[in-house]
Amino acid sequence: MEPLVRVRGLTKIYRLDGQQTTALREVDLEIAPGEFTAIAGPSGSGKSTLLHLIGGLDHPTAGEVWLGGERIDRFDHNRLAELRLRNFGFVFQAYNLIPVLSALENASFVLELQGRPRQEREQRARSALADLGIGDLWNRRPNQLSGGQQQRVAVARALAAAPRVILADEPTANLDGLTGLALIDEMKQLNREHGVTFVVATHDPRLLERVRRIIHLEDGRIVRDETRAT
Amino acid sequence: MLILAWRSIWRHRTRSIGAAFAVGFTVWMGLAYFGLTNAIRDGMYVNLTDTVGHAQIHVRGYRDIRDFREAVIADAAALRRRLDATFPGAQVAAALEVPTLLSGEDRARGVLLAGLDHPPALRDRFAAKYVREGRLPHPDDPDGIALGGALARTLQVKLGDTVYAYAPGTDGTGASAYTVVGILHFPDPTQDARSALLSLPAAQDLAAPGAVSRFELHVLEFRRTTDDAALVPLRARLQDALGRDVVVETWRETYPSLSNLERSLRPMLVFFIGLFFVLAGLLVVNTIYLSVIERTREFGVVIALGARAGLVMRMVLAESLLLCTAGAAAGLALGLATVARLARGYAYPGSWGDVVEAYGLPRVLYASIGSADIAIIVAFVIGIGVLAALWPARVAGKLEPVEAMRFVA
Repeated sequence: MEPLVRVRGLTKIYRLDGQQTTALREVDLEIAPGEFTAIAGPSGSGKSTLLHLIGGLDHPTAGEVWLGGERIDRFDHNRLAELRLRNFGFVFQAYNLIPVLSALENASFVLELQGRPRQEREQRARSALADLGIGDLWNRRPNQLSGGQQQRVAVARALAAAPRVILADEPTANLDGLTGLALIDEMKQLNREHGVTFVVATHDPRLLERVRRIIHLEDGRIVRDETRAT
Repeated sequence: MLILAWRSIWRHRTRSIGAAFAVGFTVWMGLAYFGLTNAIRDGMYVNLTDTVGHAQIHVRGYRDIRDFREAVIADAAALRRRLDATFPGAQVAAALEVPTLLSGEDRARGVLLAGLDHPPALRDRFAAKYVREGRLPHPDDPDGIALGGALARTLQVKLGDTVYAYAPGTDGTGASAYTVVGILHFPDPTQDARSALLSLPAAQDLAAPGAVSRFELHVLEFRRTTDDAALVPLRARLQDALGRDVVVETWRETYPSLSNLERSLRPMLVFFIGLFFVLAGLLVVNTIYLSVIERTREFGVVIALGARAGLVMRMVLAESLLLCTAGAAAGLALGLATVARLARGYAYPGSWGDVVEAYGLPRVLYASIGSADIAIIVAFVIGIGVLAALWPARVAGKLEPVEAMRFVA
């Protein structure tokens, strides 16, 4: 099957105050459509950087990033913004919801950026919230929701826009055990039912236990690409 | 996005209310300032046009004529008849101005002796405004004269004294004796030192029988500067009716320096109001900029989710415009209410009122505001809303999503 995401020789070097830090070193990777892939590794291993480069949030120092048949690493800011808007959903460790918007408004935010009509936005956002079991909390602001509920809203925001890939950066890191497990199961269910490709950066063993493919990163390099039966 | 912008404004309530209040206060002050200045301008207008008329009729080329005999409208009665036929019911004043040597018992001065024939309403207003002692000469009084206060002091004469006039006339030099019946006070010292008033028939007897220097057309309904627009077609109509021997001029054409003075008020006013808006704009810049800095992480998320730089900049611009609009709406309502109240008439208290009167303005002034004034205020509000957002919007638009999401305020 043609890979959905492909990276070749991906290198990222950060320069700060004259010091160089190499976050990724010539990473090669392919992810097929509909896969649920975890990127594992200790803190500082380059998981988030890899996710950012795949999602067009940053430019690599060297190497190539392809989405479908299109090379995206040379896109300018505006093309990358358009690419993210149409193809990627993001889930962040700190939820990153907009505090003055309700759960429904947050979930429909990307659809609004896409310029969808109000009725369609609301319908899709409500459906995404319902899929994640928080349909009845649509009118609450983030500060009226628990951490797990906020992260579900963040997943709903990513899911509602029907992206090709959802990139999740440590989505369970701020959640307690049960809540984290529930969220993992819900994301896997969405992956199965909607066929959305998930790439999740994590070092949460609970999540890693439930994922078929795990790419292990250490010191900016892929040290193991493991696929197993779940 | 407007909902997001509106809610974002009120995240830091105190700061936003402060900035909105500054805008609202400036709008209120701008409207009140316009209203009060328009009142003074209209007061000046009434004062000016009461004195010189809204339009004047002179002999054509009168400014360049040096010979007194050629500078007068010889058959004033005939022209008056045509004027009355063209503009029935017009308030018309006639004046004959004669350069004259006026002497008391011991001293003499060169003065501009004016024989005036004013309609009663204007005559009463003139008397109320300028007569300090005594009265004006009656319309048919052949012997009475009123003198500017400074001139009376110079000639060392008082009410009841006799003064002597020697003047070039259309029929040779005229000479006559008059009794001082009134002492006037003009705010302009030069006018006060050079003015002497007679009845029109008395002046004509002295210098030019049957002639006048000018007719003044007074349109009593015109009480505001904006009424002037109607003068231009009126002048054209009169000019056609009165023929080419005379020239009809609006007061602005006859007294361009006064007109320019009156017109210069508005640009100065707009400039000063603009300065106040700049100060209010600085508060808005501060509010919007701090709001952007505090929400760097949030803007990073918005950009990460796919918002282009242009959209992020428009979000900041919308916040600034909404903030300014909220303040401006309150300021506009208060400002219009203030002007509406002052439009019923107001007087400056105490010595301020004396100053106003000293400049020949009415004691009671009437504020007014035009749609152009409101449009200027609205333009200023939009202007500061946009300008105040430019820099913060640029900062927000240039954020890199990954760096911005790591930002800790």
